[in-house]
Amino acid sequence: MPGEPNAPGKPEGKNAVTRRDFFNEIAGGALTIAGLGAAVVTVKYASPNVLFEPPTTFLAGSPDDYPVNSVTYLQDQQVYIVRTDKGMWALSAVCTHLGCITQWKPESDQIACPCHGSKFARTGKVEAGPAPRPLPHFAMGLGEDGVLVVDKLEVVKQTEILKV
Amino acid sequence: MSEKKSYDAGLGSDALRQPRRIVFITRNTSAKVKGEVGPQLMSFPHVILRETIAFQVLAIVLVVLALFWDAPLEQLANPLLTPNPAKAPWYFLGLQELLHYFPPLVAGVLLPTLVVLALVVIPYFDVNIEGEPLWAHRSRRRLQIYVGAFAVLSVLFAIYDAWTVLAPTALVGALGLIPYFKSTSNSRFQKFLGSRPLPWWLMTWFIAVALTLTVVGTFFRGPGWSWVWPWR
Amino acid sequence: MATTAWTHQRLEQLRQTRVWRSIFRRGPARTNRTLSLAVFGNLGLHVLPVKVREKSLSVRATYYLGSISFFLFVVLTITGILLMFYYHPAVPDAYRDMKDLVYVVSNGVFLRNLHRLAAQAMVVAVFWHMFHVFYRGGYKPPHEFNWVIGVGLLMVTLFLSYTGYLLPWDQLAFWAITVGTNIISYVPVLGRPIRFLLLGGHIIGQNALLRFYVLHCVILPLAAVVLIAMHFWRIQKDGGLTVRDDHE
Repeated sequence: MPGEPNAPGKPEGKNAVTRRDFFNEIAGGALTIAGLGAAVVTVKYASPNVLFEPPTTFLAGSPDDYPVNSVTYLQDQQVYIVRTDKGMWALSAVCTHLGCITQWKPESDQIACPCHGSKFARTGKVEAGPAPRPLPHFAMGLGEDGVLVVDKLEVVKQTEILKV
Repeated sequence: MSEKKSYDAGLGSDALRQPRRIVFITRNTSAKVKGEVGPQLMSFPHVILRETIAFQVLAIVLVVLALFWDAPLEQLANPLLTPNPAKAPWYFLGLQELLHYFPPLVAGVLLPTLVVLALVVIPYFDVNIEGEPLWAHRSRRRLQIYVGAFAVLSVLFAIYDAWTVLAPTALVGALGLIPYFKSTSNSRFQKFLGSRPLPWWLMTWFIAVALTLTVVGTFFRGPGWSWVWPWR
Repeated sequence: MATTAWTHQRLEQLRQTRVWRSIFRRGPARTNRTLSLAVFGNLGLHVLPVKVREKSLSVRATYYLGSISFFLFVVLTITGILLMFYYHPAVPDAYRDMKDLVYVVSNGVFLRNLHRLAAQAMVVAVFWHMFHVFYRGGYKPPHEFNWVIGVGLLMVTLFLSYTGYLLPWDQLAFWAITVGTNIISYVPVLGRPIRFLLLGGHIIGQNALLRFYVLHCVILPLAAVVLIAMHFWRIQKDGGLTVRDDHE
């Protein structure tokens, strides 16, 4: 206040903030926000919005192409089409341990992974080896003209079976 | 110095002339190794010369080897076909062998993270600085902790059938007990073992396990990561 | 003899010219002062100390493992840059370029062998250096932080080797990287997003190759250079190399 003999620059009161501290805090806060913002924007930049990867939904022919009690490996899609007398399901051929491609071994009635020796039953259940989870089942339905449609992005329960 | 200290670097002097002083080092301004100082040499030329020679020797060795040892090039990458076995580069084969025994979260994430953290904190633990021999006091309590830790680890490894980890652990563990039971001995080897501090034992154990895992992963694992004898 | 004397005289004349003296100001390194300035006044060399302990220069003190690691890095940088002249980080091209380098380009196979050999050797050297520094107590105060920088350098070296491994785009490369990136997805919470960012997608394809290339040729070498500079500077500031006897 004008007229008062006050020492300049030193505010009174216990929690009083000097002008210098105030501006420092504002600047620090602004820089922090700017830094965080820059980081977030950079991460979003690095995360692609459009992927040029092969489509994950595909047609698998008619159910009659698959004999009863068979396991057919579709190499282009890395999917097994399994048909039993109860129905059909689509099994991922990618081992759940570390991503190697498994192989169907009819002589031992097992799906085997070459990398660390994991073995799966035709239901996808883990029978041996270090794989932590069973092979996932993909959603499979009948499209137009009775053609099988498999969607690799949609994982369904192990017990779901397509009745044909 | 008897005269008054002058920090004048000759700023007023003729710029074309060389400065009269290079640098002032006042006392206690930088950390110094508390070792024996001993005779010193000028870096130029002694260090520069030796480093140049070392570089040239290295270059010769590399060139000669590169002329005869061809880098591998397999077939074009095929996402649809996994080779059998699919092995990581040799320095990760130890890790891959570990993955064979323990779940991926443990062997792939937890253990490597713990190892790196353990390496980073080594210099900040007093026990690593003092260098006191492990069995300096022949303490019973220390023996109990040692045997207890060894037992717990052995059980863990046995549960997961991790023999390639258990074997070097047992070996180093046994070696570590020798100085306790044979504290008065004239064998140079036993005297050497007796003087080793705890960090030495831990690091030696780590190297023994890592080496065993890497050697097994490189030479003793074949298709399906099954055990093979390398000479077959 | 006469030609040597003549050459010496011409060199002396050259050294007296204005141009020369504007570039090289110190003069021949003969006195203590000029020998000191040769290191202290040099942009590249001043990371070294002016004087070193004679003990630390013997081969048995360090086996020159740290220096060897650094020299291998230099060799890798030079051979790597040369290899970049013929390599396209694109999915059909990469493998073709490898074949090109090995079978068609003059000395291509030698350069590639040298690069790969130096890479394997650097991983070995860096590990050996770490173990040797540990066993001679080189991590003890005041060198603690330098040890931590060293661990950082170890990580950078391993990551450099790993990213480089994918670049030939052959079966060996592809499946080694498949296993490795799948391990990353086991990291809780952040694992999948990190894998997605690293690969630039869900699969190991075009984006992954390009990102690994950028990591391998730009980001990681820059990180390595910064850490190496800090590592050398720390040794100088902490009073020089440790020798085994210092701490026993």
